[in-house]
Amino acid sequence: MAASGSSNNGRGSTLMLRSAGRPPWYTPDGRNIPAYMVGIAGASASGKTSVARQIVESLNVPWVVIISMDSFYRRLTPEESKQAFQNNHDFDHPSSYDFAAAVRALESLKHGKATNIPQYDFATHCPSNETLHVYGASVVVFEGIFALYDQRVLDMLDVKIFVDTDSDVCLARRIRRDVAERARDPLGVLQQYDRFVKPAYDGFVRPTMNNADIIIPRGLDNHVAIGLMIQHIKRQLDDHNAVLMRPTLLNRYGKTRSADDSLFLLPQSNQVRAMRTILCDRTTPRDDFIFYSDRLSRLVIEYALAQLCLTEKTAITPMGLPYHGYAIASNISSVTILRAGGVMEKALRSVARPAHYGKILIVGDPKSHEPRLHYANLPPAISAHQVLLMDSTIVSGANAMMAIRICLDHGVSEHNLIFISLLATPQGTRAIQAAFPAVKVVTAILDSHISSDDLLIRSGYGLFGDRYFGTEV
Amino acid sequence: MTLSEEAAKHPRLHLLPQTHQLKGLMTIIRDANTERGDFVFYSDRVIRLLVEEGLNYLPVVDKEVITPTGLPFQGVAFEGRICGVSIMRAGESMEQGLREVCTSVRIGKVLIQRDERTALPKLYYSKLPKDISDRWVLLLDPMLATGGSAVKCIEVLLEAGVKEERILFINLICAPEGALAMLEKFKSIQIITAEIDESIDDRKFILPGLGDFGDRYFGTED
Repeated sequence: MAASGSSNNGRGSTLMLRSAGRPPWYTPDGRNIPAYMVGIAGASASGKTSVARQIVESLNVPWVVIISMDSFYRRLTPEESKQAFQNNHDFDHPSSYDFAAAVRALESLKHGKATNIPQYDFATHCPSNETLHVYGASVVVFEGIFALYDQRVLDMLDVKIFVDTDSDVCLARRIRRDVAERARDPLGVLQQYDRFVKPAYDGFVRPTMNNADIIIPRGLDNHVAIGLMIQHIKRQLDDHNAVLMRPTLLNRYGKTRSADDSLFLLPQSNQVRAMRTILCDRTTPRDDFIFYSDRLSRLVIEYALAQLCLTEKTAITPMGLPYHGYAIASNISSVTILRAGGVMEKALRSVARPAHYGKILIVGDPKSHEPRLHYANLPPAISAHQVLLMDSTIVSGANAMMAIRICLDHGVSEHNLIFISLLATPQGTRAIQAAFPAVKVVTAILDSHISSDDLLIRSGYGLFGDRYFGTEV
Repeated sequence: MTLSEEAAKHPRLHLLPQTHQLKGLMTIIRDANTERGDFVFYSDRVIRLLVEEGLNYLPVVDKEVITPTGLPFQGVAFEGRICGVSIMRAGESMEQGLREVCTSVRIGKVLIQRDERTALPKLYYSKLPKDISDRWVLLLDPMLATGGSAVKCIEVLLEAGVKEERILFINLICAPEGALAMLEKFKSIQIITAEIDESIDDRKFILPGLGDFGDRYFGTED
């Protein structure tokens, strides 16, 4: 698994794990399926993190995040901070945590939103200025001594686990860890244990065992208990899984032969028809294919920009007279679906100056053709913008739906989204419009002939990206 | 009906779709306070739209091609050879836009200035492609005020054997007086323009206009 966002030892930090492309996390109607939420509580040094890692590795879910309770330590007052440096602050008391912040973050993750997770700096006893941007986890594991403490958190969890390791084992581990990793002296660790850790465990942590669905005695060493629990989660996740997107969409909209009235189809002028013919001709040399793709892209981009709502503005001309016009939009961002959408991004750059450029990589599964999300990088500021989302082709609409879902998960509002393509099917545009009615869909060419075996548009231009970039097989 | 409305209804005068976006671009170009970099960038953008629209008045022929999936597709192909002719100096600003979509297009140039003695437009220079009589001509001039130079230029083209119905006048802003006079004088030409203004003043400037296009585009204002 490739890990991103983990700190040096992985403890007390957010850990995002990605192993492969993420399958659709939403229904064919475009609604997010809530992430599967796992809570793991237990004493300090009881092995919660190890159990969490064991679970996510065994589940084999491509995109998973482990969120530590430590991210939500409350900011200390100056007086408390002074105490903390003298080892006199009780970090094991519930009042040391900002539960409201934890609830906000978990709710956001449960609903599939891109979320910024605070990071805590143990050296300064202070929340770090940096946050970690987390997006796209289908399973969220929340671990910490108070993971099963707050009722709002409990209500969100699909499975609640308590790791019940003997307290002498926990203490031995804690001494070893604090001495080795935090350069503390054993006596100080013991004092802290007596004063804060043990009373907090007895008073606040241990009682939350009653909230658990599963109690794992002896922590990570308990292979039987962990194995059973993983089986249980797997079963629940299977029920959770989305249906196959492409076949479902084609089944629903495959008979469609005309586009919805709300589709923005580039006027089919002589030049557009001639360019289409060149792009559809399999004997067209690559130079020409590139040239006419770029030319058609520019036309469809201009046509899409013409659908933006602008505010009125009056200019005074050099003749000293007013001209009542409009102010062009300054709050535009673009999101490109790689690789073929990049062709249109080039055209956009030549006419406008978007504030931000987001990128998404969606690759079709070689066997099922199902879309798989491999990469998404959208700046947070995009949420306040009119967003132009670009891909060369819409066939079943499955890739487009995933890309739109990503934009919405990043806070873009549906009516601020324009999806632009060079070639689209009525089937695909219907699927998009049924799921996201406020999204404007713009295309240069409309073609309804999808071949069922390879999901190519029959009278279309073949695999656009391969022909443009010269990577045909 | 105002003169502008009359011009807008003329069957041989083709206005670009009057979208907010186009008006937004025109607002920048017309604003006296716009920096030259922006003036050039946004003028070029509108010129590209004008050239694309102009090319739509060229004929096409049916053509069947085989797609990469092996099936036939009934499409169309470009038909008819074209060339550009720019009226110096401002018309030259539109050559790049034409070349971007027709990479190796031939471009002729014509210099017409007002004869101070007669106050009539006079031809000083013309260099046209040899076979221009066989071609469609995209005549380039961003500002059409009285239409004096454009009319003179069309006469030069007709003398060179160009068929009148094969002349497409590509223009950014026109005054209704000039446009209507030109369409009246030449019964088969077409005008493609971005906007029709209100009128012209005593000095033959378009109102509200944008000042002297050539000076602003080429940076030669006083």
